[in-house]
Amino acid sequence: MTAPHADQLIDGYLARIRAAAGDLPAAARNELLDDMRSHIAEARVHDLEETDASILNILDRLGEPATVVAEAPDRLGIHPSPPYRPGFLEVAAVILVPFLWPVGVILLWMSPAWHWRDKLIGTVIPPGGYIGLSYILLAGTTTGSSCTTIRDQAGHLLQSSCTGSPGLPGVVAVLWAILLFGSPLISATYLALRLRWGSPRQTAATA
Amino acid sequence: MPADGLVSQMRRGALEYCVLALIREPPRYAFELIEALGRTGMLTTEGTLYPLLSRLRRDGLVKTDWRESTDGPPRRYYELTTEGRRALTAFKNEWTSFRGAVDGILQEGKKP
Repeated sequence: MTAPHADQLIDGYLARIRAAAGDLPAAARNELLDDMRSHIAEARVHDLEETDASILNILDRLGEPATVVAEAPDRLGIHPSPPYRPGFLEVAAVILVPFLWPVGVILLWMSPAWHWRDKLIGTVIPPGGYIGLSYILLAGTTTGSSCTTIRDQAGHLLQSSCTGSPGLPGVVAVLWAILLFGSPLISATYLALRLRWGSPRQTAATA
Repeated sequence: MPADGLVSQMRRGALEYCVLALIREPPRYAFELIEALGRTGMLTTEGTLYPLLSRLRRDGLVKTDWRESTDGPPRRYYELTTEGRRALTAFKNEWTSFRGAVDGILQEGKKP
């Protein structure tokens, strides 16, 4: 019996199993570790001339921790879904949300590549995209403010009165216009940035 | 060899039924199973048997109990359940007809 590093070797191996099994449910991970411990203990009983080399041989035959654990998800009935790769659907959604709002928004909500919060932001800022904006502007020009001018027969201005909100000061109005007209594009850019490129989806089933 | 992937897939698929067959009578513990499977070349990475055993237990095909041993730590013995027995019988029937069909065709192919 000359295995001065037996405990060290075994603990090191079990630690690698534990690390590799980090994604498994705790119960499955602990069960696997218990099985490995029992196996090693059993193998050592059968190992008549225990040396560091024979311990290494036991661990070697058990297999690479990654290989053993890789077997576990399938064998334990846990199927991690492959990472979702954004594609045509997402590109179409980003382009259509500002320009063809209803279609774009449907695509946006169909895609699993965005968190629901981002989908909500993409949907309501601005509501309706450019189509929605033009409605808002139309409504604004018809009901928001209107001016009546009274002229005499020669065309001289007699009276001019406006109802509704007075015009905003120049700079603010320009900024507001940029923000308003830019908002569909800003929103689309935000969606493009928030795409979860290749991030794994939620695992569906845990045993 | 092009059939390497296929063979390993087949081995993988058949492995759980080999395990069920090995514990038909009497119950065995994992280390015994590994020795038996290792001798036939059915199992190369020993550690992968444990996740398989866990699944068989979870699926109700095997049941386990711990028994003291005289020469080592307590051992978990694996035993077939009625459902496991049924699964094994079904596989045996499938396998026999599958093997017969493939063998038949392979033999035919040899004829000039």
